[in-house]
Amino acid sequence: MTEPPGAGPALELVDLVKEFRGRRVVHGLSLAVPRGSLYGLVGPNGAGKTTTLSMATGLLRPDGGTARVLGHDVWADPAAAKAVMGVSPDGMRLFEQLSGRELLTYVGALRRMPRDVTAERAAELLTVLDLADDASTVVADYSAGMVKKISLAAALIHAPRLLVLDEPFEAVDPVSGQTIRTILRRYVASGGTVVMSSHVMELVEGLCDRVAVIAGGRVLAEDSTAGLTRGGSLHQRFLELVGASDVAGEGLTWLG
Amino acid sequence: MVGLIVRLRFAMWRTAMTRSPLHLVSSILGGLAALGVLALLGPGLLLLSQRPLRITALTVPLFAVITLMWTVLSLIATGVDSILDPARFSVLPLRAGELARGLLAAACTGIPAVMLTGLALAQVGSWLAHPAAVPAALLGGVLGVLTAILLSRAVTSALARVMTTRVGRVLGAVVVSVVTLIPLAMNTLLTTGSLGTDLSSFDATRSAVLASWTPFGWAWALPFDVATGRWASFGVHLTLAACLVVGLHAVWVRLLARTLTSPLTSSGGQRIGRGRLLPVLLGTSPTASIAARRVRAWYRDSRLVSIALRTAVLPIFFVLQAVFTDTPGLAGIGIVTLAVFAGLTLMNDLAFDGPAWWLHVAVGVRGWEDRLGRAIASTVVFGPVVVLTFVVSVALGVISNPVSWLTVVVVSFFASLGLAVGVGAVLPGTAPRTGGNPFAATSGGAAQGCLTAVVSFVGPILLTLPAVVVVILTSGSGAGRWMGLAVGTVYGLGLLATGVVLGGARIDRHAPELLGQLATAQI
Repeated sequence: MTEPPGAGPALELVDLVKEFRGRRVVHGLSLAVPRGSLYGLVGPNGAGKTTTLSMATGLLRPDGGTARVLGHDVWADPAAAKAVMGVSPDGMRLFEQLSGRELLTYVGALRRMPRDVTAERAAELLTVLDLADDASTVVADYSAGMVKKISLAAALIHAPRLLVLDEPFEAVDPVSGQTIRTILRRYVASGGTVVMSSHVMELVEGLCDRVAVIAGGRVLAEDSTAGLTRGGSLHQRFLELVGASDVAGEGLTWLG
Repeated sequence: MVGLIVRLRFAMWRTAMTRSPLHLVSSILGGLAALGVLALLGPGLLLLSQRPLRITALTVPLFAVITLMWTVLSLIATGVDSILDPARFSVLPLRAGELARGLLAAACTGIPAVMLTGLALAQVGSWLAHPAAVPAALLGGVLGVLTAILLSRAVTSALARVMTTRVGRVLGAVVVSVVTLIPLAMNTLLTTGSLGTDLSSFDATRSAVLASWTPFGWAWALPFDVATGRWASFGVHLTLAACLVVGLHAVWVRLLARTLTSPLTSSGGQRIGRGRLLPVLLGTSPTASIAARRVRAWYRDSRLVSIALRTAVLPIFFVLQAVFTDTPGLAGIGIVTLAVFAGLTLMNDLAFDGPAWWLHVAVGVRGWEDRLGRAIASTVVFGPVVVLTFVVSVALGVISNPVSWLTVVVVSFFASLGLAVGVGAVLPGTAPRTGGNPFAATSGGAAQGCLTAVVSFVGPILLTLPAVVVVILTSGSGAGRWMGLAVGTVYGLGLLATGVVLGGARIDRHAPELLGQLATAQI
């Protein structure tokens, strides 16, 4: 985080395409996330958020297009891109036979960090994220919110310059949610970049400085949060963009 | 309700088969295997009716064993057939009795139950020579089939409760691993004892009486009792068998009722030690950390515990048999088998990580580090077992030519490891779900399974063959044998290195695709 922001976007996606069994789910998606921003990715279920983030982080090979992380091509030079990036995917399991502390130590070792540095940071992360009491409990016995937090800790431990978080607040309690928001704001203030996806509009509106709305594998709108909402709420703007149907007003009358 | 649940079962079965060709192939293979068993045992059972009563009596111990094995095997299979997991019905307004009838009917339509029913019918045929015993055989067959199905359901439901904790799963894995070895133990006893199989003097009457007084044999003993005119035992057996069916049903309904009101959830909060030893032993490089994680998995992960136990206990039978029957080659072959099995356990190591392997991909772990780490873990876990078995066998004097055998053992172990880390990077195989049923069959995924099985069978033989040639060529002198050991070790390590490099390169090139395969590797 010593490098000053600027000099190209932190994450740059150009014409990303992905097909599953002949069905195209991401249609030439392009995005540029400026350095030092807290960037929100919102969209309805099945919009392609997770698919896009997986292609940006080297977990899913795109059928076309490029992804660049701080200038490193994710698919041409994965090692360099992955070294500067911290990832917390949604709904992917962790190595559940390890305890929380062991998991962080493991990630530190895989990233070739000195053992004492890893131990120090792991202890600090566990305390801050309120996992210290469960540091010796295996991840298999963690609740959904605890899994989210330990996954975030694993993404942070090597002090990456880009954080890619898929639904980081899902199942997390309000207190821990506040802690995570504080961590992310401080991280961005010191020059880091965060890309996060979420379903919760209020959260994105309050936290992110830029937002992209994705639906059907395409970017519908992309702007600063203030520019996108223009007086209204992100919630309203999102419903306008995605085109919410008004089923609840008409049907289901028998429900009373 | 019964019809609804049976239809639900078929609907889910159909969807599973149309969605995944692997499922379709394994269903077909399962059906063919069941037909094979029927075709093999059915006519044999029918032919029993042509034999004297002392031989026809064989049906009683045979079906008692089938009932016992049915229960054990259903434990192994529930992981595959958890479509109708009772916990999934807990949100519906259903009484346990209704659900039990529906699930029982659904269970009866499964391939294994149909096969068992077919065998039970053939059993009726066995008693055709004794007309009075035929109705008893039919009644016994119905009660026997119901006993088997209800027993397996009751036991799985009861165990499911134990299995919700990690410690419970590990303990369960230990128990079931030992139970599945029973047939092997029986084989050892049979071949070492003086139990002849000469048909002219063969008399199954005693074993029939013996089996008839176990819960598994009560129902199947009915025709035997009638044919031999033991009406008193018939009455007792009938009462006991009927009570068993009613009792098992009651127990199962109660367990279901509990499941419906308190769906199983993990009790959580299980703590583990700091695990300081492994980093000291292995170091903290990425490779060493991967090795340490896999070593821990071998004793923490219930799925692996059962595999490790079965692999480690297997050679004991070979060695024991060698001691009893005085065939020295047997112990050596047993240890080589252990070495091969131990090496091949790495074949589906990636599947045991499953989708969690994303972490390696996201961090950008090098392929060779992944492969080498796993190979080291397997060596740390199984190396001592192999060495210990070898030393004990040599001490017992059942290995005639220790240095030569050692060469073959070393080569076969490293060759299998090399093969597994190489092939495992292409075909990650399948594994039971994390935290799921530890007894569930690990082979699964028939097509890929078949290919892996062929590779697992032929590969080690082909790769070990040169070492055997070297051993034979150098067996003339003492120095030659040691030379052979040295050459063999270098050759084996060379194979392992090749596997690590090739497998690693494959991972480096295709990690995301492999991750995609792993998304569906746990069944």
